Amino acid sequence: MSVDAAYLSPSLPASIGNEADATPAPRGALGRRLAVLALRQGSLAVFIGVLVYFSIAAPFFLSVDNIGNVLGQSAIAGVLAIGLTVVIIAGGSNVVTGGIDLSLASNMGLSAAVYASLVQAGQGDAVAIICALGTGLLIGAVNAAAITLAGIVPLLATLAVMNVVAGLELVLTLNTVIPASTEFLATVSATGPFGIPVLAYLLLGFTALVAAVVQYTPLGLRLYAVGEFPEAARAAGLRVKLFISGAFLASGLCGGLAGILSVSYLSGSTTGAGDMLLPVVVTALLGTVFSRRLVPTIGGTLLATLFVSFLINGFQLLNISSTLVSGVQGLLILLVVSATTLLQRKGNQ
Amino acid sequence: MNNKFLGGLNRRNLLKLTAAAGAVAGAGLLASHPAFAEEALSLKGKRIGISTAGTDHFFDLQAYNAQIEEVKRLGGEPIAVDAGRNDGKLVSQLQTLIAQKPDAIVQLLGTVSVIDPWLKKARDAGIPVLTIDVGTTNSINNSTSDNWAIGKDLALQLVSDIGGEGNIVVFNGFYGVTPCAIRYDQLVNVIKYFPKVQIVQPELRDVIPNTVQAAFTQITAILNKYPEKGSIKAIWSAWDIPQLGATQALTAAGRTEIKTYGVDGSPEVLQLIADPNSPAAADVAQQPAELGRTAIRNVAKLLAGGALPRETYVPALLANKENVGEISRKLGIG
Repeated sequence: MSVDAAYLSPSLPASIGNEADATPAPRGALGRRLAVLALRQGSLAVFIGVLVYFSIAAPFFLSVDNIGNVLGQSAIAGVLAIGLTVVIIAGGSNVVTGGIDLSLASNMGLSAAVYASLVQAGQGDAVAIICALGTGLLIGAVNAAAITLAGIVPLLATLAVMNVVAGLELVLTLNTVIPASTEFLATVSATGPFGIPVLAYLLLGFTALVAAVVQYTPLGLRLYAVGEFPEAARAAGLRVKLFISGAFLASGLCGGLAGILSVSYLSGSTTGAGDMLLPVVVTALLGTVFSRRLVPTIGGTLLATLFVSFLINGFQLLNISSTLVSGVQGLLILLVVSATTLLQRKGNQ
Repeated sequence: MNNKFLGGLNRRNLLKLTAAAGAVAGAGLLASHPAFAEEALSLKGKRIGISTAGTDHFFDLQAYNAQIEEVKRLGGEPIAVDAGRNDGKLVSQLQTLIAQKPDAIVQLLGTVSVIDPWLKKARDAGIPVLTIDVGTTNSINNSTSDNWAIGKDLALQLVSDIGGEGNIVVFNGFYGVTPCAIRYDQLVNVIKYFPKVQIVQPELRDVIPNTVQAAFTQITAILNKYPEKGSIKAIWSAWDIPQLGATQALTAAGRTEIKTYGVDGSPEVLQLIADPNSPAAADVAQQPAELGRTAIRNVAKLLAGGALPRETYVPALLANKENVGEISRKLGIG
């Protein structure tokens, strides 16, 4: 999260300058910065408030068992949301014209189906892992080609790829559940050290790895530059299309990885992977409020993933109808998107 | 946040079918009921986990709500969770439920291969698991409908309606799904003794998804092949969504002399049966609310130290033109 603060302005000319800037900023920019601060601190406060409330209302909430469970339950959505975040960083955060990968959820579905089918066909885990990751990578490559070579808007290109991939999954599975159980899959879905699920460790490890690359290396900085201000990035000698392609390949790989985790979690490949799409998009969007400048960050996305999972978990522990969860989730998105949109408009004036 | 546009219905139907299939797989182990007086049952001070694969069908909603009410009626505290037809959510909610250590968990529907490892974990954690329409060795007792009786009742009604002779068209696309196979076999068993009843060959294949449209198209084609009235007497299917499409096709083609038969008691089909001009003749309805109450009463018996049979059968109700009003009321359909 150091990158966005230190080097990069958000795509809003009015707020160029860093936080410590002492020169008198235009009134609008100052107001915006206060609002950003309020939104960011507010969201963190809400997050912490929710956790505190759940801990008091349902004492079991704070137990290691439960927190481990929630971390493990967040793994699949978390990996997908992180993949999407990388694409949003490289493509810009405009939902319509910026970076988006709608094929991620169906990518996970197809990769999982490939894995489960290979296991059913008697192949070992190594082959299945390579093929599942390869499937994800291939889907990423198709997205990258459609966007950088054919020049299609990511929203439309990945929408088309999503349909192709979902169709392929149907062809492969005939819309049925393909059970798969191997030693490797059992290990991934088992409980690891300290009674915390292995999936939880995987999520944290994966987040740390991607965050290290995206937030703390020159490569990550360039990725932000490409997304925030492509013209400037190009003028500075960055090969914009190469970075965008790389982001889609990375997100494809995330889809493949999530597919493997999902085969392990669900003891096979199941139908309805597409159901994951909206929650993942929501999580990646929500993640921006957990960053200093309201830009997508890997850490922010992890927080958003955990926030949504804790919400679902807390509702269950408090015995509140789970139907309320989607309502609350929707309300949050509406608030976050309206707040960020309003702030951006104000900034652009 | 369910993304419905990627074909929710087909999946749900398939889930329902497969779940029902598993339910019957281990049937036939009916033991004698333990003698517990109804009023002696209590769940006072007990926390009962109620987990459902979804509540978007009439069937699951009824069974789910009936379980919650029954736990409350018996003085217990229900912890009710609904996965909204999402397998990932289903596994998560079971995990959390197991960690909460309730006195028992009742699982309603769900793909067996997905939930079985977690039901096993619940069992390993010492939590008794009961199921509704899920066939697994990790469940102590499974409450389900008696598909043999369903198949027989439907077949007898059909044969009697057509006067014991004539051609019948049969949808047999899901013989691989156990309840459907049982219902089909019962039809064959019954018409064996009515030699003038013939199944039109080849049999039709009902499909998922687009069940209604596919049935409509196939029946329209059959009607063109058998244009004279009386050449087809009835249409049979193992569930009532193909029946819905078939009935619509008959009405559209003006061939309302042909009668249709199915299973599940979907409200829209019961409505057609209630319409005196509709070719829909009979639909065997399961009693979802009764299934839910039965499962909870079984939990109470178990926690009171009683023994449970492997399966508890809840009778199904056959709705025909005469009694459909009464059956609908019994099922709680307006």
